[in-house]
Amino acid sequence: MTQVLFPDTLDQAVALLADHPEARPIAGGATLVAMRNAGLVDSSHLISLDRIAGLRGIERLADGRLRVGAMTRHADTAGSDLLTGSLMVVRKAAGMIANKVVRNMGTMGGSVANADPAADYLPALACADAVLSFLGPEGARDVPILDYVQDWYETALEPGEILTAITLPAPEAAASTYRKIARVSGDYATASCAMALTADGQGLRVAIGACGPGPIRDRDAEAALHGHLHDAGAVAEFAAALVALADPVDDVRGSAEYRLALIPRLITLVLAELNPVMEAA
Amino acid sequence: MKIAGEFQVDAPQDRVWDKVRDPELMVQCIPGCESIEQIDPMAYRAKVSVKVGPISARFNLVVTVLSEEAPHTVISRTSGEEGTRASVVSSDNVLRLEPTETGGTKVSYEADVSMTGRLGKFGLGIFRKKADQLADVFVETFRHKLEVAA
Repeated sequence: MTQVLFPDTLDQAVALLADHPEARPIAGGATLVAMRNAGLVDSSHLISLDRIAGLRGIERLADGRLRVGAMTRHADTAGSDLLTGSLMVVRKAAGMIANKVVRNMGTMGGSVANADPAADYLPALACADAVLSFLGPEGARDVPILDYVQDWYETALEPGEILTAITLPAPEAAASTYRKIARVSGDYATASCAMALTADGQGLRVAIGACGPGPIRDRDAEAALHGHLHDAGAVAEFAAALVALADPVDDVRGSAEYRLALIPRLITLVLAELNPVMEAA
Repeated sequence: MKIAGEFQVDAPQDRVWDKVRDPELMVQCIPGCESIEQIDPMAYRAKVSVKVGPISARFNLVVTVLSEEAPHTVISRTSGEEGTRASVVSSDNVLRLEPTETGGTKVSYEADVSMTGRLGKFGLGIFRKKADQLADVFVETFRHKLEVAA
């Protein structure tokens, strides 16, 4: 039997997690309930974040950054007018998660905390340079998205900590988007690509999903590519740098080899979408 | 799921052979291994825990040596289940030892693992990655035990 507890505040939730070491927090339940039904996880207690005020919705902070509450549903993220320009990538990713039922149920915090390597938010947030906020018995702390995933399904989130918010930099007036290759609409990605043009339009931020334990980004390769977006050789070299960092699995969605072959093609495809001038050149 | 690898140990083949058949050493080298007991000259019983992200599993395994040719080949079969849970794991294993030119030993292994039940649902892709990581930990510990405690 699993007991579900409904704390009213984050502090109560953290205290409950400390009281019940086997307990897990539950956000929207889109994944956790399915995993529980499949017998993959069991917990004596589930600590629902549902009744805690202040965890839902996207707000603009005084300095222009956006704070996404951990309990913000995918459907709300996918429809948010605040996610523009360089943050459109996050909005697009949210809109491509699974299906309407899951988007009405699942939350950004739940998805990020689960850290499924093939899920959509992690590459989008890596491309957007998001910062994750945790609250635990030792207090609050922030972790940059690129330091978050440490291994397959292993993250910087310690037992007893709760992911409370995802903070995004102020949106820049630069195009960004998200694209995934999936067997059927709504499936987890076989490989995915989150891409944003830099504010000057001369460079890229790119994160590849589903090709390793966490999203793949290479800032040095991005710096080398800056100013050379129209040079197919430079783009190919950039793609090769990301392929070299990839460590994909062989599974029902595709072989590791196939995934490695998808990375450069996705990059070329998404770049052409963001930067149509290149096509004409 | 096929898992294979090889590594070298800076110890002579006879010594490595003795150690691969020593349950007390193996329990210290296999990551997540809680116990190994010898149930007859050709069979062992082991308890091994594995954790992948949110999923924890604890297996009761029986390893049966099907044939061995001292001091270079062991062919074995592992079968086991996860307590009251519906996961069943089995694997066919081959272990080979060969002397190296420098007086050490090359150890190579192959295992063909199959998993059914709840863990099969989770997908073998991630388990393969995990298996590779566990193999690295095993090699590191095994090598350390043989080379340092010589």
